[in-house]
Amino acid sequence: MPLIRKDAASSAPAREHADLLRSDDADERWRAARSLATSPAGAAALGAALAGEQDPRVREAIFTSLARLGAVDSVLPHLRSDDANLRTGALDALRAMTDAVRPHLRSLLADPDPDVRLLSCELTRALPAREANSLMIEVIDREAHANVCASAVDVLAELGEATAIASLERCATRFAGQGFLPFAIQVAIERIKAQQEATDG
Amino acid sequence: MTKRVLIIDDANLVRMYYRDALQRAGYETAEAMNGLEALEYLLAQPADLLIVDVNMPTMDGLTFLRALRRQALPLAATPALVTSTEAAQVDINAARAAGANFYLVKPIAQDLFLRYVALLCGGAPQGASR
Repeated sequence: MPLIRKDAASSAPAREHADLLRSDDADERWRAARSLATSPAGAAALGAALAGEQDPRVREAIFTSLARLGAVDSVLPHLRSDDANLRTGALDALRAMTDAVRPHLRSLLADPDPDVRLLSCELTRALPAREANSLMIEVIDREAHANVCASAVDVLAELGEATAIASLERCATRFAGQGFLPFAIQVAIERIKAQQEATDG
Repeated sequence: MTKRVLIIDDANLVRMYYRDALQRAGYETAEAMNGLEALEYLLAQPADLLIVDVNMPTMDGLTFLRALRRQALPLAATPALVTSTEAAQVDINAARAAGANFYLVKPIAQDLFLRYVALLCGGAPQGASR
């Protein structure tokens, strides 16, 4: 019983703040967004408010609160937004909650939308290098979209290990006609080899 | 006089690809990893052309362009070639509305890229050593 009373008591302020996210006053919306940073019950309202929110300061406060809550499900839909500012905010927020994003990464990297797959490659940079290397190898081995491969190659150029080289070479062959990808893959392979040599001493 | 091109893109290899093409064609280059860095750079020194990605952390390319076009002249009039993986008409329209002069969809071949750069810089590629 005490637990029920506590839940009811804590969700009431969250509901109030959620209502204030629809206020005409941007300062009030900003304060409400910040107040919800510690209320998991407010995550859905924060996520829903993003679509209509035009004030950059309020948007930033909403994304910050969602990142603090680790509310991946409220942020992910905005990776598909037509609004570049919303996509960027969503990506920045997701970067700030690596542990919460990790279980979603494989499905994001296999999403039907190539733009989502492309942006999701960026999220692997926060993972341990071996894990990122493995995920990016899977991407470049199966991916048909040049820009998604390019995003994965950019990650591999930074975090890649020798186990990625064969996949990178196959990818370069598949996209031989694309000016950028063979160039990027060559640079990535050179960097991985240089890193390997430095590690081997 | 050598034209200076500011490349604004968070992808390291993309910046390198553009820099390689531009320097071989005789342009001077500078780089920024997002819109905010680019604004800080431009307030310190001008550029003749901006190559602007759309999806970047901290400040995306379209927010950057809108901020740039609100600055005083001549900075506000700096031409901008937007390059993006986003190929839908809605993305192209959004870039134009934000202040893009041209919009190219990635991946971009270096020769096509240099043609647009030359056009926006007001003449043929410089140095012609490519």
